[in-house]
Formats: sequence, structure tokens, C-alpha cells
Amino acid sequence: MSKKYAFSRKLWVTGICTLLILVLVAGCSGGQSSSGSNENAGQNTNQAGQTEGNTGANPDQAATGGTFVYGRPAAVNSFDLHNQITANNAFAIDKVFESLLSFNSDGEIVDWLAESHSVSEDGLTYTFVLRDGVKFSNGTDVTAEDAVFSLERHLEVGGPLAIAAKVDSVKAQDAKTLVITLQEAYTPFLSELSNFSNGIIPKDFGGVSEEEFFKQPVGTGPFVVESWDPTGDVTFTKNPYYWQEGKPYIDKLVYKLIEDDSQAINQLKAGEVDAIESLALQNANEIKEGADTAVAENGSWVTEQIFFNTLDEHFADVHVRRALAQAIDREGLTNALTFGYAQTATSLLPTAIPYNSNDTVKALEFNVEAAKQELAQSAYPNGFSTKLLIASGNSSRAQAAQIIQAAGKEIGINIEIESIELAAFRERFFAYDFSMMINSGQADSPEANSIIAFQTDPDGFSKSYWTHYTNDEVTKLLREGQKTQDGEERAATYAQLLQILADEVPYIPLYYPEILKGVRSSVDGLIVLPNGSLRFEEVRIGQ
Amino acid sequence: MMNEGQVLNASGPKKRGSSYRWLFITAARSFIVIVCVMIAVFFLIRIVPGDPAKMILGEYATPEALESMHHALGLDLSLGEQFLRFLSNLFTQGDTGNSIVSGNSTRVLIAERAPVTLLLIAMSSVLAIVIALLLATLASTNKNKWPDHLIRIFPTVTMGMPVFWVGLLLILLFGVRLRWFPVGGAGEGWGMAYSLILPSITVAFSQMPTLVRSLRAQMLDVLESDFIVTLKAAQIPSRVILFKHVLRNAALPTLMLFGVNLSYLIGGTLVVEQVFGIKGIGSLLFSSISNRDFPVIQGIALYCAVAVVIISLLVEIVSWWLDPRTKGKS
Repeated sequence: MSKKYAFSRKLWVTGICTLLILVLVAGCSGGQSSSGSNENAGQNTNQAGQTEGNTGANPDQAATGGTFVYGRPAAVNSFDLHNQITANNAFAIDKVFESLLSFNSDGEIVDWLAESHSVSEDGLTYTFVLRDGVKFSNGTDVTAEDAVFSLERHLEVGGPLAIAAKVDSVKAQDAKTLVITLQEAYTPFLSELSNFSNGIIPKDFGGVSEEEFFKQPVGTGPFVVESWDPTGDVTFTKNPYYWQEGKPYIDKLVYKLIEDDSQAINQLKAGEVDAIESLALQNANEIKEGADTAVAENGSWVTEQIFFNTLDEHFADVHVRRALAQAIDREGLTNALTFGYAQTATSLLPTAIPYNSNDTVKALEFNVEAAKQELAQSAYPNGFSTKLLIASGNSSRAQAAQIIQAAGKEIGINIEIESIELAAFRERFFAYDFSMMINSGQADSPEANSIIAFQTDPDGFSKSYWTHYTNDEVTKLLREGQKTQDGEERAATYAQLLQILADEVPYIPLYYPEILKGVRSSVDGLIVLPNGSLRFEEVRIGQ
Repeated sequence: MMNEGQVLNASGPKKRGSSYRWLFITAARSFIVIVCVMIAVFFLIRIVPGDPAKMILGEYATPEALESMHHALGLDLSLGEQFLRFLSNLFTQGDTGNSIVSGNSTRVLIAERAPVTLLLIAMSSVLAIVIALLLATLASTNKNKWPDHLIRIFPTVTMGMPVFWVGLLLILLFGVRLRWFPVGGAGEGWGMAYSLILPSITVAFSQMPTLVRSLRAQMLDVLESDFIVTLKAAQIPSRVILFKHVLRNAALPTLMLFGVNLSYLIGGTLVVEQVFGIKGIGSLLFSSISNRDFPVIQGIALYCAVAVVIISLLVEIVSWWLDPRTKGKS
């Protein structure tokens, strides 16, 4: 009889073990997706005909054709350009759909599907003339009607990259001319249009349902989706109707899902993939020095920062924030953590963004004595204890946290590091449930407003990147910058705004990390865009 | 587990009398365990902080976008309503719902991923058993000589090696350096079995220490028992003794041990899949947990629980069939 009980006990034990395994797996999974689901906002592309190959193969040996395999840490789960923002989808959507404007590897706005564009003097009317001979991948011609349909759907859907300009009307003047009128001037509009989310799709989805369309998307981009597993790989084939004649040179492009970073690096070394999307700073030199591998780099639109919750009792005090900013050796931190693949930050805006004011902004300098004096002026002259929130699975941030902890200790601020899994991390700071955190801010397009609006607008849903920082002068300058036409006046506005931020430090810009991609040495013609996406049109695979 | 030193030389059941009642009760208990696992998983993953909508939409998503996503996913309902919806889905469609991330049915997702994981489990089981049998035979027949010592050190050393680390070493040596095997992923058809060789060695490695250790002990017990001494005295060739009597007697406890270990083996497979970049159930579970893809996590938990419970049940039945004394014996 007792055997029965023994057996049922065993069943319970097995049941509990299964549970434990699941919980363990859950616990270990923290770092897995952090690179993949990282909040990269991505968009479109680059200048036609521009070659900025970053890798060192001999083009004579490289041939056209072939399949390029790109290892990525997260799967593509949707091609609906109006509803997506994260890098896993953005960098696949921009292979299929293209916008009227785009940007090149230097982050300059260039005409793309539009042959030319003009803006009226009052900044309210935008006119675009489409290129001749642009066709969708099903062979039909692209007309201004398609552009109207695409932009109107985006306005209707809204989505995570909603058009911020107050659009009055979108009209097709004729088959080739598109006219957009705004209710009020909004200078960032052109850069907004260069976003992948403003890509052109066929009118009425080319006659199929919305759902069907995004399963078999049809766009003007260099590649067409051949097969797609939303939890696995995507295979693209070249678009035979691509408007840049002869391109792309490769026949096929495969997005291979490799969730584990070290697995991705090993596959690159063994030549099982031609490039990998996610390359951590600490692994870059290993890939750079490898016999068959190289690192492709470009300046990014990302600023790594320490964010202060200004609703927090300690960090509401500007002196506390300034004290900590002066206690941290940003240059030392950058050198220690980024292996030469980043630039120490001065201004909030990375150097790849126009009006970044890195030359003029005076950031608080590293000076422990000054930091102590600053703290003495605060409401907490004898220091205090606080917590620093970071997402687990990012070793650079874990190390940065320790450096910040040590810096705080120097001036009497005890910092406890709290490292939690990405999903929980987001939950916490969205609820303002943090005192300070390390995170990055990034632009959606090469436009100063992109980062500044997200990080200073107290009326925006992000409430100054969840710091809840409010300063009427900053808000006024933000609105001014959005209306002022490009030029010196706009530059002065942003210089002033960025200086206020540097003085009041609602966040401490630490460094601008470079975009790093691991690439096989045999690859030539790869273009790295500052948003982290790649252009494959001119890629050739050598021996 | 089995009693040490228990000797079996007869085969087949003798009495089945009230067995059906016993079978029914154990099956009912298995069912209860599965139900408990399901309830626990359902509530646990919802207690853990993290919002699927935020994982899908990213940090730059507006509250409106989050709200409509919550509604679309049914996450705006109360926990009780969500649980009822989950139950009705389970009973009407035999499914835990559609994936939040990909929109596909969980059942379909699991069915797509299952073959490679099952093959990996099968290959690593066979490998673990074959190697364990060889080593244990070698050790027990050479008791206290150098092969025995060597083989006894082996589990002690390997027990301390984390599975993912062993996997990484194998990848670096045989994948990156020698290029004998693919570094990761799983091919199609025969290529699948080929690319699963390194991963299954890795999983088998983690299973072997316990298997070798207990199998060696079992075989020594049998070797030293009276009837073997008698057989030896009767000058039966030692090979015959070994294969016909010793191994046969040691097989049963090993089988039971293996049955219990299988749940750990499944757990180990999930981790190894991640290390080798294999798109099986394990990597699906990992990404689902990171994305808080509730229906898929529940689905995998359900299938794993069912698999583990059924296997324990089968092991129990088979061992009882092999040796009826195990039933009703404490």
C-alpha cells in the first residue's frame, strides 16, 4: 500500500521539478532577448549609388549572385510598417518598403522614391515628384495615389511611430506629384518622412485584404519576402523590378534567427553566416582580429545615459544630480567599457545628429571636490542611499553601474545596484518606479527633435523619458525648434536648450556607442546605417 | 527507486488481480498533477512583472497603442476571466490559445518545433544509456582496479561542469576549429541528425554521471550476490554471466532511474538548444518567456508536464511488468 503513496509522492515531485525547471529557465532567460527586443527604432535607408563598403574584401574576387546569411537575435514577427517600431521588424520592413525620402550612412536626408522635393516658404506645403520607372515588386507602377493611400493609412493607424506633424491634407496632383499641406509649420517633417514607417505600399493593398497583404507584402524595396516564419527565419529574394538597375547584386538574403550571442559569434567565425547584427562591445576586438572576420562600424543615433527620476525625493534636487554628474568620470567610464568603440558624450545628442552642439555645450566636468561642494548645497549634504536600476543581460551596463556606484561612494551617496530582467525593467520605469537607471535614448531619424522631444516634452506620453523633468524654458525652446526652418537660428535654439539640459542634468549623457556588426572578410559593399540597419544592395560575396 | 541488491531472475507478471484499480488511481493522480502544473503556470507567469504589449511595442509605444494591444490580447480582462477563457480554449480546441507574438496557434508552433527536440532527446537518451552501460560494465567488472577508479572520477568531475559550458567547448573545438560539425542550428532530414550530434553529446554528458554511478552500484550488487557466486562456481563463462544475468538484473533499476532523470533531460535539452541555436521547443520557451508570450509558455508547460507524467507512469508500469514485486512494495 505504501508504494502507492510513494508513487504519488514521486508524481508530485516530478510535477514540482517540471515547474522548477520552468522557473529556472525563466530566471535564466533574462539576457536572452535584451539585444533582440531592444528598443531600436529603425527606419529606412540610404543614398542611391553610394558605396560605403566597410569591409575589406577585394572586389575583383567578389561575384554577383549568391545568398547572404545575416544572423539576428530576434525574429521578424510583422511586416505591418505602420504598427511596428522595434529593430527586429524595422530592419526587415525597410528591405521591402521604401519611403519618399531616406538617409545615407552619414545620416543626411536624401531623395529616395521622390526624384525631388520642395517646401513652401511658410513651411506649410510640401511637394514631392516621384522618380520615373519605380515599380512595385509585382511589376505595377508606383503613382502618387499609392503614396496618398500609404500616408493616409499611417495617419489613420497612428502606431508607435505616428506622424507628429499636423497634416492637413495629402493629395495627388497628378500621377507623379504628391502635395502634402500642414496646419502648422513642422521642420522635422522631412526627416520623419524618411522613416521606414512612411514607406509606400500599393493603393488598397493591391486589391487583397490587409491581413493577406502583410503576409505577402508588396513594396518597392530591393527584396521580396520568399518565405517567413514569424518565430524563425526570413528568406528574401531580389526584387526583379528594383528601380536601382542591376541591384541588388545578391540573389537571396536570409535573416537567420540566432538568439544566443556567443552562438552567433561562433557561427560567424565558422562561416555559417556572412554577418551578425548584434555584436557586443567586448567581443568586437576578437572579431576584428579574426583572420576571416571583420567589424563594420558606423556612428549611431544612440546616447547611453543615466536617467534620474525627478519625482524621487533625492533626485528632485538639482544639486544632487549635478553632484553625481561631477563625481562620475565619463571619459574613464567610456574608455573602460567600450574598447574604443564609443565617443564620450558631452551633449544629449550624438555627433551623428545635426545640431548636436557637442562643440559648444559645456557639460559638468569630472571633479570630486566640486561634486562634494555641490552636494553640500543640496538638501542632503551628508549624502543618502539610493538604488540604480538596470536591465540584466547587458554586461556593459552592469559594469557601468559598478563604476557609478564607486563614484557615488566617493561623495557619500550609497548606490545599491538593482539588476532585473528586461520585461520587468520596462514595467518598473514605465511606472516611474525607479530612482536612477541606465538606459539609452535614440533617434528615429537624423533629426535633433527626435531625441529632444522624447526626452524633454513633459506633455508627451514618455514624460521626458520617464524622468518627469519639466522646465518651461526647455519646453518653449523645444516648440521653437520644431517650427524654425533649418539654419543658424534653429542651431542657436538647440544649443541653448542642450546647455540647459547639461546644467540641470535630468540625465547624464555617458557616451555615444558605435554601431558594430560582425562581418565575414569575404563580404564587400555592405552599408551600415546610423540607425543600425544595413543596406545589402551593393553587397558582393567573395571567396 | 529500486531497492539495492534486489535480484530478479524470473520474468513476466505473476498476478494482475487488483492491478486495474491501481492503474486507474495512478492515472487519476497524474491528471491532478497536470492540472496543478497548469494552474500554477497560469498564475505564476501573470504574477511575474512584465507586460507582453510592452515587449511587442517597445519603449516608444504610446499608451493608446498599449491599450489597444491589451484589448486585442485579452489582457484587459480580469485574471478570473482570462483563466475561464483559457480553460474553454483548452477544452474546446485542445489548445492554449494563439501566440501573442506571432499570432499562430500554440499547438501548431509546438508541433513545428517538436521533431527536432524529440530527436535531440532520443539521441541523447540513447547515447547516455549506451555510454553509461559500457562504462558501468567496465567499472564493475574491474572493481578497484584502474578502469574502475578512472570511471569513478569521471562523474565527480563532469557533475561540476555546467551543460552550456560543455556545449560551448564542443562548439569551439569541433565546430569553429575543426569544422567537423555545424556550430549551430539544425538541418533537414539526415542533416538534422548530423547537426544534433554535438548537442546530444552535451545533453548525454550531463546525464551520465548519475547513470554511471548508480548502474555501477547495481551491477556490483548483482555481481556479489549469492546466485552469481553460484553461477561462477558452476563454471559458467563470465561473459554469459555478465550479459545474461548481471546486465539483465541491472537493467530494471537503470530504467527506473532513467525515467526519473528524463524530466531533467528534457530540462537540459531546453538549455542546450539555446547554446546551439537550435529552433526547438527550448528556444521557443526561452523567447516566449522573454516576450511574456503567455499562451505559448502555458502550452509548453502543459505538454512538458504531460510528457513527464506519462513517462513516469510508463516507467512504473513497465518496471511492475518486469518485476511484479515492485508493486505494493515499499
